[in-house]
Amino acid sequence: MYKDQAQRGGGKNRFYQRRKICRFCVDNGMEIDYKNPKGLKQFITERGKIIPRRITGTCAKHQRKLSLAIKQSRQIALLPFVGRPPQ
Amino acid sequence: MRKYETVIISDPDLQDQARTELFDKIRNVITREDGIFLYLDDWGNKKLAYEINKKLRGHYTCLTYGGTGGLVKELERNLGLNDDVMKFMTILLSTDVTAQSLAQEAKDIEDAKTASEAAAANVDDGEETEKDTGQEQAAPEAETAEPEPAEPVTSVQN
Repeated sequence: MYKDQAQRGGGKNRFYQRRKICRFCVDNGMEIDYKNPKGLKQFITERGKIIPRRITGTCAKHQRKLSLAIKQSRQIALLPFVGRPPQ
Repeated sequence: MRKYETVIISDPDLQDQARTELFDKIRNVITREDGIFLYLDDWGNKKLAYEINKKLRGHYTCLTYGGTGGLVKELERNLGLNDDVMKFMTILLSTDVTAQSLAQEAKDIEDAKTASEAAAANVDDGEETEKDTGQEQAAPEAETAEPEPAEPVTSVQN
C-alpha cells in the first residue's frame, strides 16, 4: 500500500523534481569555447572538478564538448586542475 | 591541408621588442614549412590558474594558421626549445581546408582590418568637411584591390 503511494509520487513527503534542460540546447548563442573560462566556470565545482550532467542537466552531446573544452582550458592555465577547497 | 590554432603563453616580463622577435621567429617557421599564416590574437598579460615556471602571470597569444602535421611538429619543437615560451597548446580547427580557401580567408581578414581602420578614421574625421570624407571612402577601395595579386602566388605552391 505505502509503497504504491510512493511510486505514484503521492503522499506528504513526495519528492518533486523539476525537469532539467540543457542550457546549450535552449540558447543557441551560448557557445562552448575553451578560450572563455568564465562560461566554463559554471560547470565546474570550486574544487575545479567537472560537474556531472545529472546535476547540471546538460545533454550528452554538449557535455562531451564541455568536458573537452574544460580540459583544454586547464591545459593553458585558464582553469585550475585543482581549485581551492570551499571554506 | 588543415587549420590549426596555437595558444602560446610567453614570459610576462619580456620586452616588447623581444616579443615581436619571438613571434617573427614563429612566423618564419610557418612560412618555411609551407604553412599559411592567418592571424595573431594578442590577449595580453593574464593571471594563470596555476603556477608555471614559478610565475603567476603569463602573456597569452593565439596564433591561427593552416598547414600540415609536419608544420605543427616543427613549430612545437621550436616552441619547446625557446626559454621565453612557458607553455603552448595546439588545437585542430578543421581538417578539410585548401590552400585557396585559407588564402581567401587571410585576404578577408586583411580586408576587414583595413575596412575597420578606414571606418575608425571616418569616425575620427566625421566633423570635417565633406571633401575629406569623400577622399577616405575612395581609399579603402584602393586598399582592398591590393591583396589580390597574392592569390596566384599561393596557387603556385600547390
